[in-house]
Amino acid sequence: MSLANPAALMLAALAIPIIVFYILKIRLRRVPVSTVIFWRQIFEEKQPRSIWQHLRHLLSLLVQLLFLALLVLALGEPYFNWEILEARRLVLVIDNSASMNATDVLPTRLDKAREIARDIISRLRFRDELAIVAGGTEPHVVCGLSGHERTLLKALEGVTATDGPTRVAEGVTLARNLLGDHRNGQVHVVSDGCFEGHDKLAEAGDVRMYPVGTRTGNVGITRFQVRRSLLDPTGYQILMEVMNAGDEAIECRLELDLDGDVVDVIPLKIEPGAQWSQTVDKTSTAGGRLTAHINHADALAADNRAWALLPKRDPLKVTLVTAPNLFLEKVLEANPLVQLQVLREMPAQVPAGGVLILHRQAPATLPAGKVFVIDPAGECDLWELGEPLENPIVTKQDRDSLLMTHVRLDNVLMPQARKLTFKSNAHVLAGTVTNDPVYASLERPQGKVLVLTVNLDQGDLPLRTAFPILMTNALGWFSGAAGELRESLATGAVTEVTLPSTATTQGAAGALELWPPDGGQPRPLPSGVAQAVVGPFDRCGVWSIAPPATGGAKPPAAGAPAVEIACNLANRAESDLRPAEITTAQQTAAVAGFMSRPIWYYLVALAWLLAGLEWYLYQRRWIS
Amino acid sequence: MPLFDSQFLKQLEYLSLVSRRVFRGSLLAQKRTMQLGGGIEFADHREYTPGDDFRYLDWNLYARHESLMLKRFQEEEDLHVYFLLDCSKSMAFGKPAKFDLARQVTAALAYIALADLDRIAVVAFASDIVADFPLTRGKGRILSLLRFLEELPAQGTETDLARVINGFVHRNQRRGLAIVVSDLFDPAGFERGLDMLRHRRYEPHVVQLHDKAEADPKLLGDIELFDVETASARKVTITERNLRKYKKIFGEYQTAVQKYCRNYGMGCTQTPSDVPFADLILKMMRAAGAVA
Repeated sequence: MSLANPAALMLAALAIPIIVFYILKIRLRRVPVSTVIFWRQIFEEKQPRSIWQHLRHLLSLLVQLLFLALLVLALGEPYFNWEILEARRLVLVIDNSASMNATDVLPTRLDKAREIARDIISRLRFRDELAIVAGGTEPHVVCGLSGHERTLLKALEGVTATDGPTRVAEGVTLARNLLGDHRNGQVHVVSDGCFEGHDKLAEAGDVRMYPVGTRTGNVGITRFQVRRSLLDPTGYQILMEVMNAGDEAIECRLELDLDGDVVDVIPLKIEPGAQWSQTVDKTSTAGGRLTAHINHADALAADNRAWALLPKRDPLKVTLVTAPNLFLEKVLEANPLVQLQVLREMPAQVPAGGVLILHRQAPATLPAGKVFVIDPAGECDLWELGEPLENPIVTKQDRDSLLMTHVRLDNVLMPQARKLTFKSNAHVLAGTVTNDPVYASLERPQGKVLVLTVNLDQGDLPLRTAFPILMTNALGWFSGAAGELRESLATGAVTEVTLPSTATTQGAAGALELWPPDGGQPRPLPSGVAQAVVGPFDRCGVWSIAPPATGGAKPPAAGAPAVEIACNLANRAESDLRPAEITTAQQTAAVAGFMSRPIWYYLVALAWLLAGLEWYLYQRRWIS
Repeated sequence: MPLFDSQFLKQLEYLSLVSRRVFRGSLLAQKRTMQLGGGIEFADHREYTPGDDFRYLDWNLYARHESLMLKRFQEEEDLHVYFLLDCSKSMAFGKPAKFDLARQVTAALAYIALADLDRIAVVAFASDIVADFPLTRGKGRILSLLRFLEELPAQGTETDLARVINGFVHRNQRRGLAIVVSDLFDPAGFERGLDMLRHRRYEPHVVQLHDKAEADPKLLGDIELFDVETASARKVTITERNLRKYKKIFGEYQTAVQKYCRNYGMGCTQTPSDVPFADLILKMMRAAGAVA
């Protein structure tokens, strides 16, 4: 045994005054009493024996000296050498993924994991160190290496439940980095084992597994995505997948509702371990929050519900100025999102937010706003008109442009087009072998411009399927991102979002926050940027990007959010609550621990015990 | 601060007004003596003997039984009230001292008796009779009594109640009410002295005083007990257990006094010394039914 503070032994000199006071005879306090006849009855019953009287005082001295010795030794901070040599460095990886919210172990698997973690912490020895790593959604160090029990227990409470995927393997990698090359380093993993690679992890020499949870069946929505219909501009398609991660067949219903209105109810009958998948078409221009939920009570609630967002599709005002052209008019009329107005002469001004299509018109200056010029009749402020192009063949197409999606012009017969020379930069979407633009887009401060130089009255372009697609793409390009679907994300994902213009123009005043679905603590977003990367999302539901709350309001009010993001569990591994079986050898018994406190602690405790004994025996005069 | 001030005298007057019946009632004694004589209250009959006064013949009885019986009446006399006041050094113990309350109680009861035209005497004692206030009558004597009491010091050695009462009862004096005001801390026991009073046909009443520190001493550890009466010291170690035992013995002693008095039909008042004397007197009156 060694002493960390040997100078404290000098305090042993305090024994001298104790012995001096013992040797000196102390004059007793004289107390006058009116009579001693009652005291006489007490003390004459049993005369104290003088030898014992002597001994009891000697014993009292010895107790006092022992008390002093214990305190002095405690101040010397004694320790054993093996304490330092055998000190352990542990990292506790706690799985806080979605599957740990299962209630097959009450109250939840995560609570049971915390209980196991508390037990591990309570068994730490004095010089042991332990760190806590959360192994769900986004592995991170909850608490660095520490031997302070209260700090660790407090940090343990900070491991909160998430709906994210299991990242125990990454958590273990992080834990190994924390351990370094420590000779007594160990990784303790508390998890339900519902992740791939669980077996390999359990076999690793430096990893000890603490399984939680039981083999429990579960039914969950594992896919829920919505996309625009390829056929109907107002329609959308829903892809749903439900998995039965149980050992028995189940029957339940999948209900779809849009902003509370039931859209569809689908009865399901799924065999054990099977998935049911289906795509359905629906139509809505109003948009809203599309919710799917299955009415099956099981241990995990997070995957019983899924969300998708359908943006509202506002009608687009289109003004067509043309000599009568049946194809052009019909292709626009066929689009249900278009409010078409056909004019023969140029209007005084373009409707706000609308699109002006000029067919065979030749204004000297293009009006401000979104303008689509088809077969221009003359030059204007953006281009100069050249000679007609005879039988131009499209050889160059910008396949990456949204305007050219599903459009092929290389085999279209176009007997005549007009040669254009742009006065400013233009983006050629389709061009001829002679580098003459056939279809081009221009960005100008007053608004977007498209120009198609093809003569629609000649050739077969209006008869081709490419034409309505080209027109629909053009209208979509003019509309911008408004009305575009944002896919539902899986928990744990990150995504890039385009922030509203106020975020960049108003600086700090336009600061936004990312609000979780349950209205919990929002996450601040960088201000003054047009786009931001948000995530990872650790809760299922609809996240909102909105200004900071004012007046104590917690979640952003409905309609107020600038951006909404749907987030679903959509993870087969998390929905499968049947952990892989691990052998008994892989399971670790609770870590035995003794000497969880320093030696001085036990010495002080012993000293106080001795003081209590002395007080009871002498101060209370039990010995008399 | 004087023991008997003007405020004390006012309280005495008040007490005398509310206690007209105290000495006539059952609290302290019966005013009627055991002697028969020319009173008006009928006592019993005896056979007629020649020479008896014809006026006391019971003619109604003669008419019924044809025997001459003489009616006898109880003689009414002044009541003699004797105060036996303990002035041993143990009485000077306590905060306030028991002796102060003892003197105040003696003065108050004496004043009430004097106001009722009874005769009072005060006998101060410790190990023996140490001072006397002779038998006297009339309210006018109260100031003399107060002066006597005020000048009376706590004195003597151990209380010896038997010796004191033996001296007292052998005096040539009429029987009457004997009020013993003491803490009764007599090493030889209190019973013998009080027995003598009973046997000599006095009517004893005990007023026993104690200090709260005597009933519940706050003593613990190694100390030296100093007996104020005998001036003797004793080194002891007082433990919690000793204290519990002391309280038990003290309580048993108090109970013994009470039980003794009850057994022999004696009045008994036990009180701590921090009680105001007026409250104590009123309490005694309430116990006797003299006041509501």
